[in-house]
Amino acid sequence: MADEGHSHRRSGRLIELLTNVDRRIIFLVIALAVALPLLFPLNLPVRPSREATAYFEALEALDPGDVIIFSFDYEPDTMAELDPMSLATLRHAFRKDLRVIALTNYPGGPGIALRNLEQAATEYGKQPGTDYVFLGYNPDYSATMLRMGESIQATFPTDHSQTPTAEIPLLQEANSYADIPLLVTVTASALAEYWIIWAGGKYGQKIITGNTAIQAVLIYPYYQTGQLAGFLGGLKGAAEYEKLLELPGTGILGMDAQSMAHLLIVLFILLGNVGFFLQRRAARNGGAN
Amino acid sequence: MDASMAGTILAAIFTLAIFSLLYRDNPFYRFAEHLLVGVSAGYYVVHYFSSAVLRKFAYPVFVSQDWWLLPGGLLGLLMLFRLSRHTQWVSRYAIAFYVAAWSGYLIPSVIQERVLVQIQGTIPQLIGATPGAVIGALILLVGVTTILVYFYFSAEHRGALNSLSRIGITFLMIGFGASFGYTVMGRVSLLIGRFQFLFQEVPEVLGL
Repeated sequence: MADEGHSHRRSGRLIELLTNVDRRIIFLVIALAVALPLLFPLNLPVRPSREATAYFEALEALDPGDVIIFSFDYEPDTMAELDPMSLATLRHAFRKDLRVIALTNYPGGPGIALRNLEQAATEYGKQPGTDYVFLGYNPDYSATMLRMGESIQATFPTDHSQTPTAEIPLLQEANSYADIPLLVTVTASALAEYWIIWAGGKYGQKIITGNTAIQAVLIYPYYQTGQLAGFLGGLKGAAEYEKLLELPGTGILGMDAQSMAHLLIVLFILLGNVGFFLQRRAARNGGAN
Repeated sequence: MDASMAGTILAAIFTLAIFSLLYRDNPFYRFAEHLLVGVSAGYYVVHYFSSAVLRKFAYPVFVSQDWWLLPGGLLGLLMLFRLSRHTQWVSRYAIAFYVAAWSGYLIPSVIQERVLVQIQGTIPQLIGATPGAVIGALILLVGVTTILVYFYFSAEHRGALNSLSRIGITFLMIGFGASFGYTVMGRVSLLIGRFQFLFQEVPEVLGL
Protein backbone atom coordinates (compact mmCIF):
# COMPACT_ATOMS: atom_id res chain seq x y z
CA MET A 1 0.00 0.00 0.00
CA ALA A 2 2.86 2.35 0.90
CA ASP A 3 4.58 1.64 -2.45
CA GLU A 4 1.34 2.31 -4.34
CA GLY A 5 0.88 5.64 -2.55
CA HIS A 6 4.45 6.66 -3.29
CA SER A 7 3.99 5.78 -6.99
CA HIS A 8 0.76 7.84 -7.14
CA ARG A 9 2.50 10.85 -5.60
CA ARG A 10 5.40 10.57 -8.04
CA SER A 11 3.01 10.27 -10.98
CA GLY A 12 1.04 13.28 -9.68
CA ARG A 13 4.22 15.37 -9.48
CA LEU A 14 5.18 14.37 -13.03
CA ILE A 15 1.74 15.34 -14.36
CA GLU A 16 1.94 18.64 -12.45
CA LEU A 17 5.38 19.30 -13.95
CA LEU A 18 4.30 18.52 -17.51
CA THR A 19 0.97 20.33 -17.53
CA ASN A 20 1.69 23.39 -15.40
CA VAL A 21 5.06 24.67 -16.57
CA ASP A 22 5.54 28.34 -15.67
CA ARG A 23 5.29 30.20 -18.99
CA ARG A 24 8.35 32.28 -18.01
CA ILE A 25 10.47 29.14 -18.02
CA ILE A 26 9.26 28.43 -21.58
CA PHE A 27 10.10 32.01 -22.62
CA LEU A 28 13.56 31.72 -21.09
CA VAL A 29 14.34 28.39 -22.76
CA ILE A 30 13.09 29.66 -26.16
CA ALA A 31 15.20 32.81 -25.72
CA LEU A 32 18.28 30.68 -25.05
CA ALA A 33 17.48 28.41 -28.01
CA VAL A 34 17.37 31.48 -30.27
CA ALA A 35 20.23 33.46 -28.73
CA LEU A 36 22.89 30.75 -28.43
CA PRO A 37 22.94 29.72 -32.12
CA LEU A 38 23.19 33.41 -33.07
CA LEU A 39 26.25 33.81 -30.84
CA PHE A 40 27.73 30.38 -31.65
CA PRO A 41 26.55 29.40 -35.18
CA LEU A 42 26.00 25.69 -35.88
CA ASN A 43 26.06 26.10 -39.68
CA LEU A 44 23.20 23.67 -40.26
CA PRO A 45 22.68 22.88 -43.97
CA VAL A 46 20.13 24.89 -45.99
CA ARG A 47 18.56 23.11 -48.99
CA PRO A 48 16.80 25.33 -51.55
CA SER A 49 13.17 24.39 -52.18
CA ARG A 50 11.55 24.21 -55.62
CA GLU A 51 9.73 27.52 -55.04
CA ALA A 52 12.89 29.38 -54.01
CA THR A 53 14.78 27.93 -56.98
CA ALA A 54 12.01 29.13 -59.31
CA TYR A 55 12.22 32.62 -57.73
CA PHE A 56 15.98 32.64 -58.27
CA GLU A 57 15.70 31.38 -61.85
CA ALA A 58 13.06 33.99 -62.79
CA LEU A 59 15.59 36.73 -62.00
CA GLU A 60 18.53 34.78 -63.38
CA ALA A 61 16.78 34.41 -66.75
CA LEU A 62 16.73 38.19 -67.34
CA ASP A 63 19.33 39.97 -69.46
CA PRO A 64 21.57 42.82 -68.26
CA GLY A 65 19.77 46.13 -68.74
CA ASP A 66 16.30 44.63 -68.26
CA VAL A 67 14.00 46.56 -65.94
CA ILE A 68 12.18 45.02 -62.98
CA ILE A 69 9.54 46.47 -60.65
CA PHE A 70 10.29 45.92 -56.98
CA SER A 71 7.46 46.61 -54.56
CA PHE A 72 8.34 46.88 -50.85
CA ASP A 73 4.91 45.93 -49.53
CA TYR A 74 5.71 45.73 -45.83
CA GLU A 75 6.36 47.87 -42.78
CA PRO A 76 8.83 47.70 -39.88
CA ASP A 77 6.85 45.03 -37.98
CA THR A 78 7.89 42.33 -40.50
CA MET A 79 11.36 43.61 -41.39
CA ALA A 80 13.00 40.67 -39.62
CA GLU A 81 11.48 38.22 -42.09
CA LEU A 82 11.33 40.29 -45.25
CA ASP A 83 14.41 42.53 -45.23
CA PRO A 84 16.74 39.56 -45.93
CA MET A 85 14.65 38.74 -49.04
CA SER A 86 14.58 42.35 -50.24
CA LEU A 87 18.28 42.87 -49.79
CA ALA A 88 19.17 39.55 -51.44
CA THR A 89 16.86 40.28 -54.41
CA LEU A 90 18.29 43.77 -54.91
CA ARG A 91 21.84 42.40 -54.72
CA HIS A 92 20.89 39.75 -57.26
CA ALA A 93 19.36 42.38 -59.57
CA PHE A 94 22.28 44.79 -59.35
CA ARG A 95 24.81 41.98 -59.70
CA LYS A 96 23.12 41.08 -62.99
CA ASP A 97 23.02 44.77 -64.04
CA LEU A 98 19.22 44.81 -63.99
CA ARG A 99 17.56 48.17 -63.45
CA VAL A 100 15.01 48.59 -60.67
CA ILE A 101 11.80 50.63 -60.43
CA ALA A 102 10.93 50.50 -56.73
CA LEU A 103 7.77 51.51 -54.93
CA THR A 104 5.80 50.72 -51.81
CA ASN A 105 2.09 50.25 -51.18
CA TYR A 106 2.42 50.88 -47.44
CA PRO A 107 2.78 54.28 -45.76
CA GLY A 108 5.43 52.78 -43.46
CA GLY A 109 7.39 51.36 -46.39
CA PRO A 110 9.46 54.30 -47.74
CA GLY A 111 12.09 54.22 -44.99
CA ILE A 112 12.64 50.49 -45.41
CA ALA A 113 12.77 50.75 -49.20
CA LEU A 114 15.29 53.60 -49.21
CA ARG A 115 17.56 51.87 -46.70
CA ASN A 116 17.67 48.62 -48.69
CA LEU A 117 17.96 50.31 -52.09
CA GLU A 118 20.78 52.59 -50.99
CA GLN A 119 22.67 49.75 -49.30
CA ALA A 120 22.50 47.44 -52.34
CA ALA A 121 23.15 50.28 -54.82
CA THR A 122 26.23 51.41 -52.89
CA GLU A 123 27.61 47.85 -52.81
CA TYR A 124 27.30 47.54 -56.62
CA GLY A 125 28.01 51.17 -57.59
CA LYS A 126 24.54 51.88 -59.02
CA GLN A 127 23.20 55.39 -59.63
CA PRO A 128 19.70 56.70 -58.88
CA GLY A 129 17.73 57.77 -61.95
CA THR A 130 19.58 55.56 -64.42
CA ASP A 131 20.04 52.25 -62.55
CA TYR A 132 17.21 52.53 -60.09
CA VAL A 133 14.39 54.83 -59.04
CA PHE A 134 12.23 54.91 -55.93
CA LEU A 135 8.71 56.13 -56.69
CA GLY A 136 7.59 56.20 -53.06
CA TYR A 137 4.14 55.51 -51.68
CA ASN A 138 0.91 56.01 -53.58
CA PRO A 139 -2.46 55.75 -51.77
CA ASP A 140 -4.86 52.99 -52.87
CA TYR A 141 -2.87 49.94 -53.91
CA SER A 142 -5.51 48.53 -56.31
CA ALA A 143 -5.71 51.74 -58.32
CA THR A 144 -1.91 52.02 -58.30
CA MET A 145 -1.45 48.47 -59.61
CA LEU A 146 -4.06 48.95 -62.30
CA ARG A 147 -2.87 52.32 -63.51
CA MET A 148 0.77 51.25 -63.70
CA GLY A 149 -0.33 48.98 -66.55
CA GLU A 150 -1.21 52.12 -68.52
CA SER A 151 1.48 54.55 -67.42
CA ILE A 152 3.87 54.58 -64.48
CA GLN A 153 4.57 58.28 -65.09
CA ALA A 154 0.86 59.09 -64.82
CA THR A 155 0.50 56.97 -61.66
CA PHE A 156 3.51 58.62 -60.05
CA PRO A 157 3.89 62.17 -61.47
CA THR A 158 6.92 62.58 -59.18
CA ASP A 159 9.25 60.09 -57.48
CA HIS A 160 9.82 59.92 -53.73
CA SER A 161 12.22 62.88 -53.81
CA GLN A 162 9.69 64.96 -55.83
CA THR A 163 11.63 64.72 -59.13
CA PRO A 164 9.13 64.67 -62.04
CA THR A 165 9.09 61.10 -63.35
CA ALA A 166 8.93 62.37 -66.95
CA GLU A 167 12.52 63.62 -66.45
CA ILE A 168 13.89 60.33 -65.04
CA PRO A 169 15.83 58.44 -67.76
CA LEU A 170 14.86 54.98 -66.48
CA LEU A 171 11.14 55.80 -66.66
CA GLN A 172 11.46 57.24 -70.14
CA GLU A 173 12.43 53.72 -71.27
CA ALA A 174 10.04 51.73 -69.09
CA ASN A 175 6.63 53.25 -68.53
CA SER A 176 4.24 50.30 -68.14
CA TYR A 177 4.15 46.54 -67.51
CA ALA A 178 4.64 46.01 -71.25
CA ASP A 179 8.23 47.32 -70.90
CA ILE A 180 9.00 45.29 -67.79
CA PRO A 181 9.65 41.53 -67.90
CA LEU A 182 9.36 40.83 -64.16
CA LEU A 183 7.62 42.22 -61.10
CA VAL A 184 8.85 41.38 -57.58
CA THR A 185 6.69 42.02 -54.54
CA VAL A 186 7.98 41.38 -51.04
CA THR A 187 4.95 41.49 -48.84
CA ALA A 188 3.54 40.83 -45.39
CA SER A 189 -0.09 40.76 -46.48
CA ALA A 190 -2.43 39.68 -49.26
CA LEU A 191 -0.91 42.25 -51.63
CA ALA A 192 0.78 39.50 -53.63
CA GLU A 193 -2.73 38.26 -54.49
CA TYR A 194 -3.73 41.75 -55.62
CA TRP A 195 -0.63 42.01 -57.81
CA ILE A 196 -1.67 38.65 -59.30
CA ILE A 197 -5.21 39.93 -59.94
CA TRP A 198 -4.35 43.36 -61.33
CA ALA A 199 -0.88 43.14 -62.87
CA GLY A 200 -0.87 39.40 -63.63
CA GLY A 201 -4.49 38.79 -64.60
CA LYS A 202 -5.20 42.01 -66.46
CA TYR A 203 -1.81 42.72 -68.03
CA GLY A 204 -0.09 39.30 -68.10
CA GLN A 205 2.80 40.57 -65.94
CA LYS A 206 5.17 37.82 -64.75
CA ILE A 207 5.36 37.97 -60.94
CA ILE A 208 7.52 36.51 -58.19
CA THR A 209 6.96 37.20 -54.51
CA GLY A 210 8.60 37.04 -51.11
CA ASN A 211 6.21 36.51 -48.21
CA THR A 212 6.06 36.26 -44.47
CA ALA A 213 5.78 32.67 -43.26
CA ILE A 214 2.14 33.18 -42.24
CA GLN A 215 1.27 34.41 -45.71
CA ALA A 216 3.23 31.69 -47.52
CA VAL A 217 0.56 29.03 -46.94
CA LEU A 218 -1.92 31.12 -48.93
CA ILE A 219 0.56 31.66 -51.75
CA TYR A 220 1.22 28.00 -52.66
CA PRO A 221 -1.96 27.64 -54.79
CA TYR A 222 -0.91 30.58 -56.98
CA TYR A 223 2.48 29.01 -57.58
CA GLN A 224 0.88 25.67 -58.35
CA THR A 225 -1.37 27.25 -61.01
CA GLY A 226 1.50 29.21 -62.57
CA GLN A 227 0.07 32.61 -61.59
CA LEU A 228 3.33 33.13 -59.72
CA ALA A 229 6.67 32.21 -61.28
CA GLY A 230 8.29 31.58 -57.88
CA PHE A 231 8.10 32.59 -54.24
CA LEU A 232 9.96 32.71 -50.94
CA GLY A 233 8.23 31.82 -47.68
CA GLY A 234 9.47 33.38 -44.45
CA LEU A 235 13.03 33.45 -43.15
CA LYS A 236 13.52 29.92 -44.48
CA GLY A 237 12.77 31.14 -48.02
CA ALA A 238 15.21 34.02 -47.58
CA ALA A 239 17.93 31.61 -46.42
CA GLU A 240 17.33 29.30 -49.38
CA TYR A 241 17.57 32.22 -51.79
CA GLU A 242 20.78 33.49 -50.15
CA LYS A 243 22.18 29.97 -50.54
CA LEU A 244 21.32 29.93 -54.26
CA LEU A 245 22.90 33.37 -54.68
CA GLU A 246 25.96 32.31 -52.68
CA LEU A 247 25.58 35.55 -50.73
CA PRO A 248 25.05 34.55 -47.08
CA GLY A 249 23.09 37.17 -45.16
CA THR A 250 20.84 37.46 -42.14
CA GLY A 251 18.53 34.78 -43.58
CA ILE A 252 21.12 32.00 -43.38
CA LEU A 253 22.49 33.37 -40.09
CA GLY A 254 19.01 33.13 -38.56
CA MET A 255 18.26 29.57 -39.67
CA ASP A 256 20.29 27.87 -36.90
CA ALA A 257 18.26 29.76 -34.31
CA GLN A 258 15.06 28.99 -36.20
CA SER A 259 15.80 25.26 -36.28
CA MET A 260 16.70 25.12 -32.57
CA ALA A 261 13.54 27.02 -31.62
CA HIS A 262 11.42 24.66 -33.74
CA LEU A 263 13.01 21.57 -32.17
CA LEU A 264 12.30 22.97 -28.74
CA ILE A 265 8.68 23.80 -29.60
CA VAL A 266 8.17 20.26 -30.93
CA LEU A 267 9.65 18.95 -27.67
CA PHE A 268 7.26 21.13 -25.64
CA ILE A 269 4.31 19.89 -27.70
CA LEU A 270 5.36 16.27 -27.11
CA LEU A 271 5.81 16.84 -23.36
CA GLY A 272 2.46 18.62 -23.18
CA ASN A 273 0.79 15.65 -24.88
CA VAL A 274 2.50 13.15 -22.59
CA GLY A 275 1.23 15.20 -19.63
CA PHE A 276 -2.27 15.31 -21.08
CA PHE A 277 -2.45 11.53 -21.59
CA LEU A 278 -0.97 10.80 -18.15
CA GLN A 279 -3.53 13.15 -16.61
CA ARG A 280 -6.36 11.42 -18.47
CA ARG A 281 -5.13 8.00 -17.41
CA ALA A 282 -4.81 9.13 -13.80
CA ALA A 283 -8.36 10.53 -13.91
CA ARG A 284 -9.66 7.23 -15.30
CA ASN A 285 -7.82 5.21 -12.65
CA GLY A 286 -9.09 7.54 -9.96
CA GLY A 287 -12.65 7.11 -11.23
CA ALA A 288 -12.24 3.33 -11.32
CA ASN A 289 -10.95 3.30 -7.72
CA MET B 1 26.99 60.68 -30.27
CA ASP B 2 25.33 61.04 -33.69
CA ALA B 3 21.60 60.61 -34.44
CA SER B 4 22.05 57.07 -35.78
CA MET B 5 23.82 55.90 -32.62
CA ALA B 6 21.21 57.58 -30.39
CA GLY B 7 18.43 55.95 -32.43
CA THR B 8 20.01 52.50 -32.12
CA ILE B 9 20.49 52.86 -28.35
CA LEU B 10 16.89 54.04 -27.93
CA ALA B 11 15.64 51.13 -30.07
CA ALA B 12 17.62 48.68 -27.92
CA ILE B 13 16.22 50.17 -24.69
CA PHE B 14 12.65 50.00 -26.02
CA THR B 15 13.16 46.43 -27.27
CA LEU B 16 14.22 45.40 -23.76
CA ALA B 17 11.29 47.33 -22.28
CA ILE B 18 8.86 45.40 -24.52
CA PHE B 19 10.55 42.09 -23.65
CA SER B 20 10.10 42.87 -19.95
CA LEU B 21 6.38 41.99 -20.32
CA LEU B 22 7.43 38.36 -20.64
CA TYR B 23 8.26 38.43 -16.94
CA ARG B 24 5.31 40.53 -15.82
CA ASP B 25 3.43 43.74 -16.66
CA ASN B 26 5.45 46.81 -15.62
CA PRO B 27 5.70 50.60 -16.20
CA PHE B 28 8.62 50.29 -18.67
CA TYR B 29 6.58 48.00 -20.91
CA ARG B 30 3.54 50.28 -20.63
CA PHE B 31 5.58 53.34 -21.54
CA ALA B 32 7.15 51.65 -24.58
CA GLU B 33 3.77 50.32 -25.75
CA HIS B 34 2.03 53.68 -25.43
CA LEU B 35 4.88 55.48 -27.14
CA LEU B 36 4.77 53.02 -30.06
CA VAL B 37 1.01 53.41 -30.48
CA GLY B 38 1.20 57.21 -30.23
CA VAL B 39 4.12 57.61 -32.62
CA SER B 40 2.53 55.19 -35.12
CA ALA B 41 -0.82 56.99 -35.04
CA GLY B 42 0.86 60.36 -35.51
CA TYR B 43 3.00 59.05 -38.36
CA TYR B 44 0.04 57.54 -40.22
CA VAL B 45 -2.21 60.59 -39.85
CA VAL B 46 0.48 62.93 -41.17
CA HIS B 47 1.52 60.51 -43.91
CA TYR B 48 -2.01 59.87 -45.16
CA PHE B 49 -2.86 63.57 -45.07
CA SER B 50 0.29 64.46 -46.98
CA SER B 51 0.20 61.64 -49.56
CA ALA B 52 -3.56 61.50 -50.16
CA VAL B 53 -5.15 64.86 -49.33
CA LEU B 54 -2.28 67.21 -50.23
CA ARG B 55 -0.43 65.36 -53.02
CA LYS B 56 -3.37 63.63 -54.68
CA PHE B 57 -6.08 66.25 -54.20
CA ALA B 58 -5.25 69.74 -52.96
CA TYR B 59 -2.08 70.26 -54.99
CA PRO B 60 -3.38 68.90 -58.35
CA VAL B 61 -6.73 70.69 -58.03
CA PHE B 62 -5.77 74.09 -56.64
CA VAL B 63 -2.25 74.44 -58.08
CA SER B 64 -2.27 72.38 -61.29
CA GLN B 65 -5.98 73.09 -61.80
CA ASP B 66 -6.93 69.48 -62.62
CA TRP B 67 -10.59 70.26 -61.91
CA TRP B 68 -11.78 66.75 -62.83
CA LEU B 69 -10.40 65.54 -59.48
CA LEU B 70 -12.79 67.87 -57.63
CA PRO B 71 -15.93 65.62 -57.67
CA GLY B 72 -13.94 62.70 -56.20
CA GLY B 73 -12.50 64.95 -53.51
CA LEU B 74 -15.93 66.33 -52.61
CA LEU B 75 -17.30 62.81 -52.42
CA GLY B 76 -14.48 61.98 -50.01
CA LEU B 77 -15.35 65.02 -47.89
CA LEU B 78 -18.84 63.57 -47.40
CA MET B 79 -17.20 60.99 -45.11
CA LEU B 80 -16.64 63.76 -42.55
CA PHE B 81 -20.43 63.89 -42.03
CA ARG B 82 -20.03 60.67 -40.04
CA LEU B 83 -18.70 62.76 -37.16
CA SER B 84 -22.27 63.82 -36.27
CA ARG B 85 -25.07 61.34 -35.58
CA HIS B 86 -27.62 63.64 -37.25
CA THR B 87 -25.71 64.00 -40.51
CA GLN B 88 -23.96 60.65 -40.80
CA TRP B 89 -26.48 59.45 -43.42
CA VAL B 90 -24.82 61.82 -45.92
CA SER B 91 -21.60 59.75 -45.78
CA ARG B 92 -23.49 56.72 -47.11
CA TYR B 93 -23.47 58.29 -50.60
CA ALA B 94 -19.68 58.22 -50.62
CA ILE B 95 -19.58 54.66 -49.27
CA ALA B 96 -22.21 53.51 -51.79
CA PHE B 97 -20.23 54.99 -54.68
CA TYR B 98 -16.96 53.46 -53.50
CA VAL B 99 -18.43 50.01 -52.84
CA ALA B 100 -20.26 49.94 -56.17
CA ALA B 101 -17.25 51.10 -58.19
CA TRP B 102 -14.87 48.62 -56.58
CA SER B 103 -17.35 45.76 -56.71
CA GLY B 104 -17.58 46.32 -60.45
CA TYR B 105 -13.81 46.25 -60.73
CA LEU B 106 -13.07 43.49 -58.25
CA ILE B 107 -15.76 40.85 -58.63
CA PRO B 108 -15.00 39.75 -62.23
CA SER B 109 -11.23 39.85 -61.64
CA VAL B 110 -11.37 38.00 -58.34
CA ILE B 111 -13.66 35.33 -59.79
CA GLN B 112 -11.28 34.90 -62.71
CA GLU B 113 -7.97 34.80 -60.78
CA ARG B 114 -9.01 33.34 -57.42
CA VAL B 115 -11.77 30.97 -58.47
CA LEU B 116 -11.69 29.94 -62.13
CA VAL B 117 -7.91 29.67 -62.48
CA GLN B 118 -7.75 27.82 -59.14
CA ILE B 119 -10.43 25.35 -60.24
CA GLN B 120 -8.51 24.82 -63.45
CA GLY B 121 -5.39 24.21 -61.33
CA THR B 122 -7.01 21.28 -59.52
CA ILE B 123 -7.62 19.41 -62.78
CA PRO B 124 -4.61 17.11 -63.31
CA GLN B 125 -2.49 17.74 -66.38
CA LEU B 126 -1.56 14.14 -67.17
CA ILE B 127 -0.01 14.56 -70.61
CA GLY B 128 3.79 14.73 -70.40
CA ALA B 129 3.74 14.90 -66.58
CA THR B 130 6.23 12.97 -64.43
CA PRO B 131 4.83 10.19 -62.21
CA GLY B 132 5.50 12.36 -59.13
CA ALA B 133 3.56 15.28 -60.62
CA VAL B 134 0.63 12.96 -61.50
CA ILE B 135 0.50 11.60 -57.94
CA GLY B 136 0.70 15.14 -56.53
CA ALA B 137 -2.09 16.33 -58.83
CA LEU B 138 -4.30 13.39 -57.85
CA ILE B 139 -3.75 14.03 -54.13
CA LEU B 140 -4.70 17.67 -54.75
CA LEU B 141 -7.84 16.65 -56.60
CA VAL B 142 -8.89 14.21 -53.87
CA GLY B 143 -8.14 16.82 -51.19
CA VAL B 144 -10.16 19.60 -52.82
CA THR B 145 -13.10 17.30 -53.62
CA THR B 146 -13.34 15.72 -50.17
CA ILE B 147 -13.01 19.09 -48.41
CA LEU B 148 -15.88 20.38 -50.56
CA VAL B 149 -17.86 17.28 -49.52
CA TYR B 150 -17.14 18.14 -45.86
CA PHE B 151 -18.71 21.58 -46.41
CA TYR B 152 -21.76 20.13 -48.17
CA PHE B 153 -24.57 20.56 -45.65
CA SER B 154 -27.63 19.72 -47.75
CA ALA B 155 -27.57 16.03 -46.84
CA GLU B 156 -26.79 14.16 -43.63
CA HIS B 157 -23.20 12.89 -43.56
CA ARG B 158 -23.80 9.13 -43.53
CA GLY B 159 -22.30 6.21 -45.43
CA ALA B 160 -20.09 7.22 -48.37
CA LEU B 161 -20.68 10.93 -47.73
CA ASN B 162 -19.46 10.49 -44.16
CA SER B 163 -16.34 8.59 -45.29
CA LEU B 164 -15.49 11.22 -47.88
CA SER B 165 -16.03 14.10 -45.45
CA ARG B 166 -13.73 12.36 -42.94
CA ILE B 167 -11.01 12.24 -45.59
CA GLY B 168 -11.74 15.94 -46.14
CA ILE B 169 -11.24 16.62 -42.42
CA THR B 170 -7.85 14.90 -42.60
CA PHE B 171 -6.78 17.19 -45.45
CA LEU B 172 -8.08 20.20 -43.54
CA MET B 173 -6.11 19.20 -40.44
CA ILE B 174 -2.94 18.83 -42.51
CA GLY B 175 -3.61 22.30 -43.95
CA PHE B 176 -4.18 23.81 -40.49
CA GLY B 177 -1.05 22.06 -39.21
CA ALA B 178 1.05 23.53 -42.03
CA SER B 179 -0.48 26.93 -41.35
CA PHE B 180 0.32 26.65 -37.63
CA GLY B 181 3.89 25.55 -38.40
CA TYR B 182 4.40 28.56 -40.66
CA THR B 183 2.89 30.85 -38.01
CA VAL B 184 5.36 29.55 -35.43
CA MET B 185 8.18 30.09 -37.92
CA GLY B 186 7.00 33.67 -38.51
CA ARG B 187 6.86 34.49 -34.80
CA VAL B 188 10.26 32.93 -34.11
CA SER B 189 11.67 34.94 -37.05
CA LEU B 190 10.54 38.16 -35.39
CA LEU B 191 12.36 37.14 -32.19
CA ILE B 192 15.46 36.27 -34.23
CA GLY B 193 15.27 39.71 -35.88
CA ARG B 194 15.23 41.45 -32.50
CA PHE B 195 18.09 39.29 -31.16
CA GLN B 196 20.15 39.93 -34.30
CA PHE B 197 19.59 43.62 -33.67
CA LEU B 198 20.61 43.36 -30.00
CA PHE B 199 23.61 41.06 -30.50
CA GLN B 200 24.94 42.29 -33.85
CA GLU B 201 23.72 45.78 -34.81
CA VAL B 202 23.90 47.38 -31.36
CA PRO B 203 27.51 46.27 -30.58
CA GLU B 204 28.50 47.32 -34.11
CA VAL B 205 27.08 50.83 -33.68
CA LEU B 206 28.60 51.17 -30.20
CA GLY B 207 31.97 50.00 -31.56
CA LEU B 208 32.13 46.99 -29.20
